[in-house]
Amino acid sequence: MIETIALVVNAVLQEGTTGAAPAIPASAAAALAVGLAALGSGYAERGIGAAAVGAIAEDDSMFGRGLILTVLPETLVILALVVVFVV
Amino acid sequence: MSSQGTAKRGRSSNYEYVIARVRSRRASLFDDDDYRKLVRMGTGEIARFMEETEYESEMNALGSRYSGVDLVEYALNRNLAKHFEDLLRWSEGALYDYIARYLRKFDVWNVKTVIRGLYAGSDATEVEDDLIRAGEFSERRIDQLLNAGSIEDVVEQLDDTIFGDPLAAAYEIYEETEVLVPLENAIDRAFYETLLDGLPDNPEIDSPTGLYIEFLEAEVDFRNLRNALRLARSGADVDPSEYYIEGGKLFDEQSLAQLASNFDGLVAAVRESTYGDDLDQALGDLEDAENLVEFERALDAALLEYADKLSNRYPLSVCPVLSYILAKEREVDNIRAIARGREAGLGPDEIEQELVIL
Repeated sequence: MIETIALVVNAVLQEGTTGAAPAIPASAAAALAVGLAALGSGYAERGIGAAAVGAIAEDDSMFGRGLILTVLPETLVILALVVVFVV
Repeated sequence: MSSQGTAKRGRSSNYEYVIARVRSRRASLFDDDDYRKLVRMGTGEIARFMEETEYESEMNALGSRYSGVDLVEYALNRNLAKHFEDLLRWSEGALYDYIARYLRKFDVWNVKTVIRGLYAGSDATEVEDDLIRAGEFSERRIDQLLNAGSIEDVVEQLDDTIFGDPLAAAYEIYEETEVLVPLENAIDRAFYETLLDGLPDNPEIDSPTGLYIEFLEAEVDFRNLRNALRLARSGADVDPSEYYIEGGKLFDEQSLAQLASNFDGLVAAVRESTYGDDLDQALGDLEDAENLVEFERALDAALLEYADKLSNRYPLSVCPVLSYILAKEREVDNIRAIARGREAGLGPDEIEQELVIL
């Protein structure tokens, strides 16, 4: 496993040194990163949201807490947005 | 519920939603303090106390028709049915299947009650009040069962359920002997044998599904154990294998037949088994006091504690739901025991012994 990773890394590094153009432009890669991060947080929110709605159905006072916990994974997307400004 | 049931089985499980609700309800069950207060109350006070809790709507709905301990009892049943029906309503996919599997025991109870009612010639409304509508049967099916004119009708109506074939076979024996025992045995057996039917054969030992199966096996084992102990104690001349339920790990048919006649051997066999650690104290009590009732309480408590442990260890699985179901059943049993005990004039200490409190 580790050996193959080393091989791949080597290949990538050589590619880089020979000055070939990257497969996709940097801005497209950044967009991809944000999109994937959004997908991840969406998946995380699915479970939390279901649990939060369940808790709110039993006890109305859970609304605030449920809302906060549900949107917590949203920070993932915000952090991923940083990439867009860095590139 | 059956058509809805098949539709639900196709979807994926919604553990998060169900468990969030179940945990909230688990937390609102009666605790030690409530029980301590309850055992010191009279029957009227118990009814009053319950009106101020969870059971309010049931107490109000039934209050005009019943009073005293009967009111408490029917309100408990109805509340239990409401909560368990909710569980089935919420859950989807595999989770629905797991829950329905266990809750079918209320179908068993309902079918038995209907058959007993017909046998004793009670009228439909009396029988209806004794039903616990918590199982998988739809309202319509239960109403049909209630309107059945004879036991044969009931057997025919259940033709398409898991009870169909065993009941039909038992009905022939019933016609010859005119006693209900074969019918009731057939229902119980059909339930326990489908309990483990169709679950994965070799689940990972530590996965929640594996533990759930282990739990169901434990349930079968404890049922076998209870039957064996009762036979051993009463010394009745009955063939134990007639009451043997397959699927457990503790006994096979032969070993049970041998042990049922030998009380000490039975206790030793359980001590050696995987349940030995959990039941150690209870087994000691059993040997000392030779008190079966207390041992059965200990079995219940051990089961409840085990389910609680699992529910904390595997939060996103069927285990929390199971632990809630058990805890709720115990609560209903406890309150009923308190109410009946007070009615019979037992003292608080005597009643406390009858309760299963963790």
